[in-house]
Amino acid sequence: MAATQSRRNFLKQGSAVMGGFALTVLSKGAMAQGKTRVRFSGFVESEEQLATTLKVLKAYEAKNPGVEIVPEFSTFRSFTDKLATEAAGGNAPDMFSVNVDLLAEYAARGVLAPLTEYIPDPLDVSSYQDGSVFSCTYDGQMYAMPNDAIATAIFFNPRKFEEVGVAVPDKFYTWETLQETAVALSEAHGRGFWGIEDGGGNNLPCDIFLRARGKALFTPEHTIGFDAEDGAAWFQYWEDMRQSGGCPPADVQAQAGDNSASLGIVRGRAGMLVQTTDSFIGIGALMEDPLDLMMLPNGFDGGEMKQHLYDYAGNSTGIWANAPDKALCVDIIRFMHFDPEGVELYYTGSGMIPASTEGLEKFGTSGTEEEKKLVAYLRMLREDPAPSRRPGVGGLGGMFRRGNEAVAFGDATPLEAAEALVAEINEKLAALKA
Amino acid sequence: MSTTKNLSKRQNGVAFLFLSPWLVGFFLLTLGPILGSMYLSFTNYDLFNPPVWTGFDNYRKLMGGDPRYIQSLKVTFTYVLFSVPLKLGFALFIALILNRGLRGLGFYRSVFYLPSLLGGSVAVALMWRQIFSYDGIINHFLWTYLGYDAPSWITNPDYALGTLVLLAAWQFGAPMVIFLAGLKQIPQDMYDAAAIDGARPVQQFFYVTIPLLTPIIFFNFVMQTIGSFQAFTPSYIISDGTGGPADSTLFYTLYLYEQAFTDFEMGYASAIAWVLVGIIAIATSISFLSAKYWVHYGDEG
Repeated sequence: MAATQSRRNFLKQGSAVMGGFALTVLSKGAMAQGKTRVRFSGFVESEEQLATTLKVLKAYEAKNPGVEIVPEFSTFRSFTDKLATEAAGGNAPDMFSVNVDLLAEYAARGVLAPLTEYIPDPLDVSSYQDGSVFSCTYDGQMYAMPNDAIATAIFFNPRKFEEVGVAVPDKFYTWETLQETAVALSEAHGRGFWGIEDGGGNNLPCDIFLRARGKALFTPEHTIGFDAEDGAAWFQYWEDMRQSGGCPPADVQAQAGDNSASLGIVRGRAGMLVQTTDSFIGIGALMEDPLDLMMLPNGFDGGEMKQHLYDYAGNSTGIWANAPDKALCVDIIRFMHFDPEGVELYYTGSGMIPASTEGLEKFGTSGTEEEKKLVAYLRMLREDPAPSRRPGVGGLGGMFRRGNEAVAFGDATPLEAAEALVAEINEKLAALKA
Repeated sequence: MSTTKNLSKRQNGVAFLFLSPWLVGFFLLTLGPILGSMYLSFTNYDLFNPPVWTGFDNYRKLMGGDPRYIQSLKVTFTYVLFSVPLKLGFALFIALILNRGLRGLGFYRSVFYLPSLLGGSVAVALMWRQIFSYDGIINHFLWTYLGYDAPSWITNPDYALGTLVLLAAWQFGAPMVIFLAGLKQIPQDMYDAAAIDGARPVQQFFYVTIPLLTPIIFFNFVMQTIGSFQAFTPSYIISDGTGGPADSTLFYTLYLYEQAFTDFEMGYASAIAWVLVGIIAIATSISFLSAKYWVHYGDEG
């Protein structure tokens, strides 16, 4: 039997199919609407951190069936570009990660909601280390909850020291000793190995360097805390390190980029690396040799030797100023930071050390060996902490990298690079305040 | 008469109905943002707060000698200057070889076209990074067999842009396919006549192939020039989005992107974009104006 179909019938049946499809989609949409959806975007330092973050968010969903959390996590670089675009389009995630410099940018531009009304209930930060709270504060208000306590450190491969009989520096040592140690390692290991990776393009150790000179990157009033002469001394230090063979030539160092797997220390080509402690677990996991950490130098030959390091929040969670359900976002933060189950899931094996004193103590006893090393390091810093890191401006890492590369490739003298750096920071600060 | 008019109107209506998806897309997703960007280029806009009209300030800043902007111009012009002729030359060379009636031509054509398909992709740029890095294959060979401790080609400012030019030249597939099609259009009679007149292969190439291929060369030249001015991905991936080392691969579009999304200077970035439109328009106009002196169309008589 041949089936015949008129145009009218075809249209009728087509409409029915389309209608059915629309009903199905709409009903599913309505079901989805039964749940409150929260977008949580952020950056993570390692696979481990991503895994624990997703775990704690799943646990929150299990306890709150009416809530759906959409996780959007990536590396720092991808995250910042994406966040800027979304926030500009009025479609920022409800809650998102910030670091100390991004916090200043986003708080000043009205993107972040102040958390003042949620402190101390339910966000009781009284047991949080001052530096962590300070790095989440802008213009007197707290804008984010510190997820971790981090500090700048020198990661080192003890085996590379042992192999050639070079001594690891003592707890307190000078910047000159660091250079001597690096050069000794390079010379002892031979071609293709360097004592330390170039840290001149990193603003974090520069802050410690400046403090030993009685300055800092930024003042508590959010103005620049150093001048071109100080910056030139920093760039000159690393130029001397390169010239003496203590760190790789500029082209080799530039190759490492942002990728942990490309780092010289991971590839067995460097003995030391200046890094923040939140990368310790992730970088250690990529290495066959053990990894340890020590303080940066705390003074110069013939000068005063004083502890200039501090810990602060490397990764904090803030809430978008236009988030429709801020109370729910706060509750998710509460679960991650104060609920015993949430804290356990969020931090164990993540490489993050909680910013609270209790959290730090807990991971100092029950954490993995690597976590215990981190806790011991942070405890050491807290014996006599220096004033914490102060909010700066976005893109600071890029400015330092460009200045250091300009010197390393012979395009600028240390003073010229430092003058350009100071000018750029001042321009950014002015734009922020305008 | 009025029936014909009504029918014609109805037909136009139907035509517009079918065109509407494209029209909506063009007006909302292309023309709208273009005009929006034009407006933003005259404002101070940080992405988060409403734009503030500042007249020609952004353009004045550009002309006032922003050193990184000048650097991005230098890098981009150098890239265009070297990558376009190199790519076209290489594409023509391979097309000539493939045009000699090789067996399995389809296979070779696909193989040579492949890099172009992958060209813009992140994977190829990453692979390039591995090959030319300090401990990549090239340097491994140079050290093992020649004892030469070569630099890191992609992270040394003296060579970094050169490797990006090579990467562009390697992606010669698209112009090659067009050249190949053009070569196949040249009548065999021309070559036969030239041969009877005593022209050797090299003379045939310069006096028959090249003149008859000039419309294709012109088309490829214009398209590749425009594409090269807009290049972004190779530098973004190979330099980790920094344009480094020492801004040696800071493409124009990368600087634009950085201004917009790292420095939150969307107004300034829009002005940079519009200047690029102007640069491309000038380059294309010069190409068209020069065409009458060197492009020969078959119907010119």
